[in-house]
This record gives sequence, structure tokens and C-alpha cells, in this order.
Amino acid sequence: MTVSVETRRSRVTVYAKSTAPSLTPVKPGKTHEFTALDHSMSRHSVHLVCYYRQEPTVTMTALKESLCDVLSYYPAMTGRLVKNEGDGCGEWMVKCNDAGVRMVDARADTTLDEFLASATDEEERQLAYWEDVGSDPYLWSPYCIQFTDFKDGSMAVGISCTHFHADPTCVAVFARAWSETHRRALVTCPPFFHPWAFYPRKNPVPSSPHLSEKSTIPPPLHPPAMSSVTFAFSASSVRQCLADLQLSNLSPFDALASLLWLRISSYKSASLGTAQLTLAVDCRRRMSAPLPLGFYGNALHFFGVKADLSSGWIHIASELNRHVSGIKEDDVWSSVEWLHERSKEKAFQMYGPELTCLAWDNVPVYNAEFSPGAIPVHVGCRIGNAQGEGLVVIMAGAPGEGEEARTVIVTLPTDLTAQIYRDEAILKYGPKIMFSPNI
Amino acid sequence: MPAQPLPDFSTSVRLKYVKLGYQYLVNHFLTLLLIPMIATCVLELVRRGPEELISVYNSLDLDVIHILCSSFVIIFVLTVYYMSRPRPVYLVDYACFKPAPSCRVPFATFMEHTSMICEDPKSVQFQTRILERSGLGEETCLPPANHYIPPNPTMEAARAEAQLVIFSAIDDLIKKTGLQPKHIDILVVNCSLFSPTPSLSAMIVNKYKLRSNIKSFNLSGMGCSAGLLSIDLARDLLQVLPGSNALVISTEIITPNFYKGNRRDMLLPNCLFRMGAAAILLSNRRRDATRAKYRLLHVVRTHKGADDRAYRCVYQEEDSDGHCGISLSKDLMAIAGDALKSNITTIGPLVLPMSEQLLFFFTLVGRKLINPTLRPYIPDFKQAFEHFCIHAGGRAVIDELQKSLQLSAEHVEASRMTLHRFGNTSSSSLWYELNYIESKGRMKRGDRVWQIGFGSGFKCNSAVWKCLRTVKTPVDGPWAECIHRYPVDIPEIVKL
Repeated sequence: MTVSVETRRSRVTVYAKSTAPSLTPVKPGKTHEFTALDHSMSRHSVHLVCYYRQEPTVTMTALKESLCDVLSYYPAMTGRLVKNEGDGCGEWMVKCNDAGVRMVDARADTTLDEFLASATDEEERQLAYWEDVGSDPYLWSPYCIQFTDFKDGSMAVGISCTHFHADPTCVAVFARAWSETHRRALVTCPPFFHPWAFYPRKNPVPSSPHLSEKSTIPPPLHPPAMSSVTFAFSASSVRQCLADLQLSNLSPFDALASLLWLRISSYKSASLGTAQLTLAVDCRRRMSAPLPLGFYGNALHFFGVKADLSSGWIHIASELNRHVSGIKEDDVWSSVEWLHERSKEKAFQMYGPELTCLAWDNVPVYNAEFSPGAIPVHVGCRIGNAQGEGLVVIMAGAPGEGEEARTVIVTLPTDLTAQIYRDEAILKYGPKIMFSPNI
Repeated sequence: MPAQPLPDFSTSVRLKYVKLGYQYLVNHFLTLLLIPMIATCVLELVRRGPEELISVYNSLDLDVIHILCSSFVIIFVLTVYYMSRPRPVYLVDYACFKPAPSCRVPFATFMEHTSMICEDPKSVQFQTRILERSGLGEETCLPPANHYIPPNPTMEAARAEAQLVIFSAIDDLIKKTGLQPKHIDILVVNCSLFSPTPSLSAMIVNKYKLRSNIKSFNLSGMGCSAGLLSIDLARDLLQVLPGSNALVISTEIITPNFYKGNRRDMLLPNCLFRMGAAAILLSNRRRDATRAKYRLLHVVRTHKGADDRAYRCVYQEEDSDGHCGISLSKDLMAIAGDALKSNITTIGPLVLPMSEQLLFFFTLVGRKLINPTLRPYIPDFKQAFEHFCIHAGGRAVIDELQKSLQLSAEHVEASRMTLHRFGNTSSSSLWYELNYIESKGRMKRGDRVWQIGFGSGFKCNSAVWKCLRTVKTPVDGPWAECIHRYPVDIPEIVKL
């Protein structure tokens, strides 16, 4: 964990851009429609980076071949955004015109271990190439896949996409399907295209006080520069956290989210009082008619948690636990119906501008094995356009570190990030610090 | 019942039968003449009886010298006749390169890349219009280097493409025929636009460890009709070398030839040219006659380069910005029609049945001597050939030839479907078309195939093959996985 004094030149170089078609042509006239949830997330993007050790079958050429293969199952990914002129609603939808996904070739001038030990936040961001929609959405690929070769033959695969199309779970499931296609194994979670999953109920009760409040917040005039840092907590660190909390029913998420909420807030203002945290939780499995893991699209439920930060860490953790386990399906539906009502209006920022936390540790992300038994060495996930007070992403850690291991990616305004990764209360639990900002 | 006017169909039916009768009469004229003569002779002999025949023979007073001299003369004439006959050239088998589906270029991808690479929106619009009307499908393939934004045409990438397409085709051919590389006597490679040193033929010699005394040739710069030129060259060599075989490779390497500029007449190749290669094994060995698929009957080459317009019709040059491209002139179709006319004037007498030739001759005489306004008679080539392989140079070429040769949709189906599935693969397209006909199970023993190639120069070359054994389906080749989907209906304009 080296911190250079002066800004270092990035070791990642992008040298070629191309497009990957699917192996089988898409039937003309196919389309994919978005749900209200998809529309609400359109301002953000998802970036998933998986790092792999050198394997004879994991080469750029072979991966590109298997990518073309798996894309045959995802016609929505190879399509382009068009306005739905059909039934006069004028909303965005995907025309599955078989255009393919963008691919970017890159090389990193270092070995994988050296990179994981010393790379900056900026360098990790360069492993998932992304271009925002330009002047013509019809020519813009909503997905971009980057292959980065390291000096020792290791590889990093970066999948970036617009949050309009998919949430982080969807991207992780795609990576898994791709790896299974690469190994010529059966795809365990084939994509499930069902835009009617979040169609309002027969008797809709559209109401979401939290989101209504968010929608009225004006976008910040001068959004602060953001930077990130990654904390990799091993199972023992998390167990230590839980032990310190002394409550038996808390999960690793409750412990870590509350710890970070407390510490971030303490740096923002000297006095702590009642504060609100926005939580984003995957609700595929929380519906009474549960959606399969392969459900293609967004299934994140955003809600607010209020807690009195001055009451201490234990209180905050138990409040979080109470709220997360107490999510009612009705709340999810009300939220969806509220979003559906305002789907014609411009989408507002969902991750932020207030402090937001994405609870993503219940989704397995280390199962994209391109070579049998060769799971990723590390997986990182970022959300684009989450400016404001900050975003905390809590995801599963490397299986080698234990079941309770967690990776926490904290994105904050730059000056806050500099303080947070030196925070004693967090460092007490000995997390490995990765991808710190270059300051 | 009142006398009703004869319906139209009855007159045409009568005309049809008249025509059929005329054809049978003229085409089998010698047979019709000889059979009565032979019958009369046999009857006469039978009538006269054996004793009379013996007495006639004795009266001839032949002695040993006479018999020996006559036999010597007969044997001498027969030997000269057999020795001076051209050696038969057999096509043992051929294999076409099947591109990997990951190299395919859907229309949407092509237009996206063009919009990103091309600065001139008018060029982009022009290329969209070409693609919409091109007759290509969504499964045509470009080499890996052309998938990059912008394309990356290095020499290494071009060599990689050459190795990919040529070696795949040769490996396929070796598997099909059991050919041993050390037994190849002649190697002819034609690739118009990519000519590295050492040549592509040297690359093949190196990869397959061919013999040191192989006769290898590399034809470059000769355009899309070079496939048949290579066949012609191989045939000529096989006349000189007894008991040999020849490996002919026809391909076009697309990688180095992406046109980066904006001149409209140079943008067509970008839109139409696709990856492809064919490897053909020819032989003049008698033992290959039993296992060969086809026998080469004729090759007719027509070169219109003496005419300046024809010479500049397909011209590679640099545009005002220094980008190199191949410009296609507006009178391409007219010149192609002209070249075709010359070619069929030469090939007509070789292949047409006597009935058609007589009709043509009489019409010609009539036009010259009696009435110049008489419509020229276009011989019915459908009587000379069962199958047609027209170079899939573009939809316009196929339409033009269908019209001028009066071919039905089924005759040009192979060309249209090859253009749809594989695009314009230049000199190897004729072999993809032949493979289509075989895969459809239409190739029977005794069928004659006419392959017509057009190319820069301006050249029009024809080859005529005769099928020696019925080709049984399923046929292993580039059409194996998709033949059941064809023929497809290709719309005039595909909306992009």
C-alpha cells in the first residue's frame, strides 16, 4: 500500500476499440422495453471489474469468442436505444438491431499482484472504459467490455454499462453466464427478460416519501470532485466488528454500513445528530413471486433509514438491521408505482446526492470462473454519477478470505476520502486498503 | 357451339412443340442420319448372307503387306489422335473457407463503425444506401483487423488473415481428399490486392512443407476473375506434365484495403467485399477420374483491356487526400455486358447445341443480308448448362446477367444466396456458389456448370465443368449449417 507523493502517470493504456457481435443474428423487429425502475436509474452507470490470474484458456482472443457466444442469449445487450414511437408514449426502449457491444483492449504495465497492491483509484477506474451517451444514442453502445492484459499474463475484465439496462446484480449474473459459456458449461442463470415484472399492481398505491423527497432536491450547481477507496475486510476483521457490537442478530452488512456511516458523518460535521442514510437493496428475492436471479433489468429498492448518530455505533447498527429486515413487499410495490407514475418526467439522481449505501453483499460475485476452479482474485464494483455526499458499496469479499469477508468501496468528496482511509476507528479492524486516491 | 377464338396458351403450346421438335431434329441430326444408314447396311448384309461376304472379301485379293500397311496406318492415325487430344483435367474436390461467426458484421455494426470513422455525413448516408440495396445478409464476415474502430490494417494483420483463410481451406481440402502435401506438383495462388514478399504461395510451401521442385505461381493484381485464370494456368501446366496434380487457391485479402476517404466511387468495396477463400485440387491422373467430382471442359478468357474505357473501369488509385482505394466507374455494367457478349460469342460455338447455333447463324445472316432490323437471337444457354455460377460481384451484376442471358430465378439462386450469406468474396465466390448447388442436392452426374467471372482489366472469364458423379447431401462445407434456411427472400431495400 504505497501512496506516492506526486501524481503518478497511469500504468493502464487503452490501445484498441472494436465491437463484438452475437454469434447468432437477432430476429429483425425484436425490442426490449424498460420498467419504471429502469427509467429511474438512467442517470447512473455500473462498472464491474474482475481480476484473473494467468490461465491458458483465459486469453483475450478466447474471451472475445465466448463473449460473442453468450451475447446470443442477450439480444437486449446488443441493441440500441430508440424512442418508442409505437404507442405514442415516446419513452426510451431498446431496438434489438444486432449492433453488438463495444470492446476495448488495454494493457497494464505491471503485474497483477503489483497492481492490486499499489494501484490508485484512478487506475482502477481505467480498467472499465466508459463513454457517456454522445449526440446520437442510436450509435452508442450501452455496454462496454474492457480486457486488460497484465505483464505476467493475468487479465482484468471490466464490464461497464448504463444503469438504465442493468443493475450490479444483473451485470454480475451476466459475467457468470459468460464464464460458463467460456467453459462450455451449462448456463445456470439464463437471462429472464420480463419488463412486466414491475408493472403496477391492479390497485396501485403509489407512494414513496423518500423518493418524493429526493426528486425535489435540485441538482448541485458545482458537484464536488469525488474519489474512492476500497477496504477489503477479511472474515476475522468482520467477526471482530460483530464481536465489538455485542448484538447477536447483526449481519456483517449492518456492522460495516453503520461503522462507515458513523465515521463519514463524523468527518462531515463535528456534532452528530439524527441523520438519514439512503439504502439500496436488491429486491429480486424479496417479492412474493420472487424474480429469478437472471432477471434482466433493475431490481433495486431505495429507501431511507433515520438514526440518531449520537447514540453510538450499536444503536445505528441495530436500526439498520431493523430497517433492512423489515422491508415490506408493499413498500417495494408502492415505490415502483410511484416511479411508474412519474416515468415520463426526467429521471433524478438515485445514488446521492445524499449519503447512499448499496447493500450488495447478498449477491455472489466471485463465481465468474472462466477456467474451472479459477475464480477471480478480486472483484470491484463502482457506480457512475454518484456525486454528492458519497456512496458506500458493500459487496461480498474474496471467498479465500472467509464467508464473512466483505469488500467495501467508499466514494466520497476528495477531501473526505483522504481522511476516511486514515481513520483509526476503521483501521482498527485491519482492512486491506486498495485503490486509494492518488494524493 | 359457336367457334371460339383459340386461347393464347394454345398457340404458344404449339410453338413450344415446334421448337422442341426442331431441337431434337437438329441436335440428334447425325444420330437420325446414321441409324437408318446402319439399319439399311445391316439389312443388306443379312440379305446377302455370309457366303457372299466371304466371296467379296476374297475378291479383294489382299495379301499380308496390304493388311499390315492398312493396320499400320490405322494404328498410326489412332495414336496421333489420342496423343494430340488434350489431357483431361479433373477437379478432384474443392474446399471453401467458412468464417467464424464472431467475425460477422451485422448491418447495424457496419453503419455504426462507418459513422464513427467517417467524418463526412454524406459518405455515411451513401454507404447506408448501398448497404440497404446490396443484397447482403447479416452473416457476412470481415477479418478481425477490420472490426477495430478505426480498422488496423497492418501487414501483420493482413498476413494473419491470409494464413487464417488459406490454411483453413487447405486443411479442409486435405481432410476431404486425403491429399498428401508432398504429392502436390503445381501450386497456383491468386490474390489480387495483397502481395507480400515472400509470396502467399511461398507461405503455403513453408507451412505445408511442399516439395522443393514444386511449380508454384502467385498471381496478383488480376482482379475478381483471377480464380478462373488460375484454373486456366493450372490446366495448361497439366497438359505439359503427365500424371500430376495442381492445388489452386483463390482468395482476396480484405485487411489492407479498407478505404479511409470519402470518394463515392471508391466506397463500394468497403460495403461489399468480405472474407473468403477456396482451395481446389485439379489432377490429370487417370486414377483420379473415378473419384473426381468434375471434369474441366472449356475455359474461355476475354480481355477487353485494349479499350481505354474498359481498362479504367476498375482502377486502384489515390484520392485527393492520399487515401488509396479502388474506384468503380459508372459504366461498369455496360462494359461488363460488352465483355460478356464477347465471351459468349467465343464460348457459344463450344457449348451450344447445334439447334441454337443454327438459329443464331441464320438470324445473323438474316440481319446482315436481308433485314438489319431483325432482333438478334440470344442463344438459349439453359440448353447448354444445367447450373450457372455467376460471380457474386453485387446485386446489379447478377440482375444484369439474369436479364441478358434470360435466366430464371432458380438459375441465379446460387449467386444471390452466396451474395447474401458470404458477401462479395471476389475470386472465390464462384466456389461458394458451386457448393450451394451441391448442398441443395441439385448436382447430378452429367450436369454441366458454367462459371462466369468478371474482374478488373476488364476481363470476363468462363469455365465449363461437367459433373462426373452425383454429389450426395449432406455436403460438408461452408453451407453445412445454414443450407436449410436457404433460399431466403431478399428484399429490394432493407430498411436500416
